[in-house]
Order: sequence, then structure tokens, then C-alpha cells
Amino acid sequence: MNNPTQTMDIRRDLVALLPRLRRFALTLAGTAEDADRLVREVCSRAIQKSHHWKGEGRIESWLFSLMRTAWSDEIKKRRKTQPSSTPKAQGVVSSAEISTMATSDQILLSLPSGLASVFLLVDVEAFAYGEAAAILGIPEQAFAERLCSARLRLSEIAPEASERRA
Amino acid sequence: MKASASSSALEQRISAFLDGEANEHERQEIEALLVNEPQARALHDNLKRGTDYGRRVFDDAMKEPLPLELVRTIKNAPLPRRAIRLPDDKKRQSLSFKPSRTQALVACILSLCLGGGIGYALGTQPGSTRLGGSEVQLDSRDWLDDVVAHYRLYTRLPDRLVEIGADRPGDILAWLTTGTGIAFRIPDLSQSGLTFAGARLFTADNRPSGLLLYRRGDEGEIIAITFSKTRPDTNKPVEDIRADTGLVSWSTPLATYVVVGPSSAADLDEIAAKAAGLI
Repeated sequence: MNNPTQTMDIRRDLVALLPRLRRFALTLAGTAEDADRLVREVCSRAIQKSHHWKGEGRIESWLFSLMRTAWSDEIKKRRKTQPSSTPKAQGVVSSAEISTMATSDQILLSLPSGLASVFLLVDVEAFAYGEAAAILGIPEQAFAERLCSARLRLSEIAPEASERRA
Repeated sequence: MKASASSSALEQRISAFLDGEANEHERQEIEALLVNEPQARALHDNLKRGTDYGRRVFDDAMKEPLPLELVRTIKNAPLPRRAIRLPDDKKRQSLSFKPSRTQALVACILSLCLGGGIGYALGTQPGSTRLGGSEVQLDSRDWLDDVVAHYRLYTRLPDRLVEIGADRPGDILAWLTTGTGIAFRIPDLSQSGLTFAGARLFTADNRPSGLLLYRRGDEGEIIAITFSKTRPDTNKPVEDIRADTGLVSWSTPLATYVVVGPSSAADLDEIAAKAAGLI
């Protein structure tokens, strides 16, 4: 339970998964700075709690759940300490604004709040609806609705992005 | 976390169809629509285009370099420390058992009588021995599975979370003490950010069990403490995850307790350690 080999293993796993953890963190936190802080916090928790991971299923599922919980905690903390300021929320951005965006991060963050995480879990990380909804702590039906909205939104901005690239 | 881009029912059905999440009947209907309805085909293509574009964007996001400092932090992260001691461990360590000769003699005689009695009882009912053994093995697993099932059910019914609310602690104490046969106190876990919400009585493996429910913060991650007279196979504290639900259990001579929460809750063992001293 407490052996160093297991700890080293999860550290290796975490480093290997780091780009994906960071990408998911970005969809939750909205800024690279907050995302990196969140990844650091979650990796620290995962190492401390590595004995909870029994090697069944995908470790990403456990790590993403930890991350979503950690981010919810962070939002609550911020609300308490700075009631007027909320974490940077993604608002609705017009297609014209999208065309001026330089990086993929900026395009992702232009999605309405919550949609990027939903899209990432199913279309990129290949989770089933039930598992992905459990990771985000939302009902499956609401999850399916958001996923559809995310696809429609991405479809709306896709042509403009293509023109920008061309 | 509200989606601003609203979607129609048909769009949602096609979206689920794209992911293979539609059932057989639904799949056939959508396939027929895609053949016969140009509008459905257009929606399908639209959703597909969004999916393809989103994947490309997310793939691009992966290409951005990682901060080296982040990688170093994880590689050099401190080792886990397992310092939390549940009551079972404490008790085992603090007990010093040094019997006198008289006590040892009395214990021997009692053991002999008890062993003889049990042997006689088993000898007169040989068929029941095997059954009893297998039941004991199943007991703890089934009980914890029931606990997880009830926890998952009630945490998904926020309006029906408790039977008696936190505003009636006297009623909760009287009701659950009578119902379970276990005297207890309602632990104050506010230091762990938990607010007592109320209680329930349910049956786990055919035994009455008490369930004390706590909310964390405003949005309400639910943490529960359950207790029952059920005797598990082992008296050792158990930490486990079943169906995305974390469990930390410990036993006393009178009852078995379990702290239940989401598997992502990192501090269940700390809560269990606190609750064990307060309940």
C-alpha cells in the first residue's frame, strides 16, 4: 500500500498524462496559469492517494474526477475570500472574434462555459456518456445536451477558423 | 455551467447516434431519417463538422510545450504519508495485556468450556456449519454494496436527501438509536467543511443501519457516515472504492462505521478519523 515502487509508478503515469491533464484543466479553469496550478494540486493529491487507485478501469477517469472536485473547491474558496470576483468564465464569443484568435487554447476557451470539458471527455478522451457525466458530476441527460451544444457551437465557428488558417 | 447554444431534440438524438449511445430502436429510426430527410442529413453533417473541427483544435492544444517546472514538481513530489490512525489501530496498540496466573487459569477454563460448548453445538447441527461460514464471507461485501447503493441513490435526490433534517437532532438520536440499537452522537465535522444535513434509516444486508448525511460547501458534495451492528470479516479498517464511491470503515466491539463519499474526495480517511472520535 505504501511502497515506493507504486509511488514511482503513479508519478511516471502522471508525467506521461500531463499534457492531457493540463488540457482538461484548461477547459475547467479557463487560464493557463490556473490550469497549471490545478494540475499541480491534483497530481499532489493523486500521489498522496495513490493507494485508492486499484488499477481497474482508466486512471484518467479517477484523475479527471479529482481535478473536477479540486476545481469546484477552488471556486468555493474564491467565492468566500473574494465574493465579488469569480474565476474567469468563458463567455459567448462571436464567430468574427474567433477568426482573430491565434491559438487553439483561445478557440477552446471561447466556447460557452462547461462545453469544452464535455466535448473533450467524449470526442477526444473517448469516454462513454455515463462515465464522462460522472466525472463532471452532472446528470447524463444534461451532459448529452451540452455535448450537442458544443458540437453545434464548434460547427458554427469552424468555417471562420478554416478561412483564418488558409 | 449553462450551455448557451441550445440544441433541438433531433439534434440531440443525432448527436447521441454519432457516439453510438442510441439504443437499437433509436439507431434504426435515425438511420431511416438520414436516408429520407434532407434536414436530418444536414444536421448530421453539421454535428460531424463540429466534432471534426473540435478534435483538431484539441489536438493542437496538445502540441503546446509543458512548463518544465510543472514536470519537475510532479517528479519530485513528496511521498505519501500514512499517519492517520483509525480507532481500531489505536486500541490494538494501547492495550497492554499482562494476565496474572489466576487470570490465565480462569481464561483457560473458560476457553475449554466455551470450546466444548461450541463443538457440541456444531456437532449436533453439522449441516449448518458450512452455510454459516459462507454467509460470514458474504456479509461484509453485501453490506458495503448496499451502503454504496443507498448513498448513490440519495445523493442523486437532493430534495429528498434526508428523512429527518438537521433541525431535529433529538428526534434523529432517539429514532436511530432505537432503530439500529447503537448509541451515538452526531459528530460536528465543521472543521472539515461539512455541515450536517440530516439522517436516514435504511437496511443493509437485512440489518437496520443509520445514515448521517453532511454537505460540503454550498453546492453540496455529500459525505455520509453510516453505522450498523453488522460484523465484517475483519476488524481492520477498510479503505475501498466501489462504483466511484469511496469508503473508509472501522469497527468497535458494538458497531461498524463507514464514511462514504465521492471517490475523488481526498480526505475521507481524515474525516473518518475525526468522526471516530466524536460519534
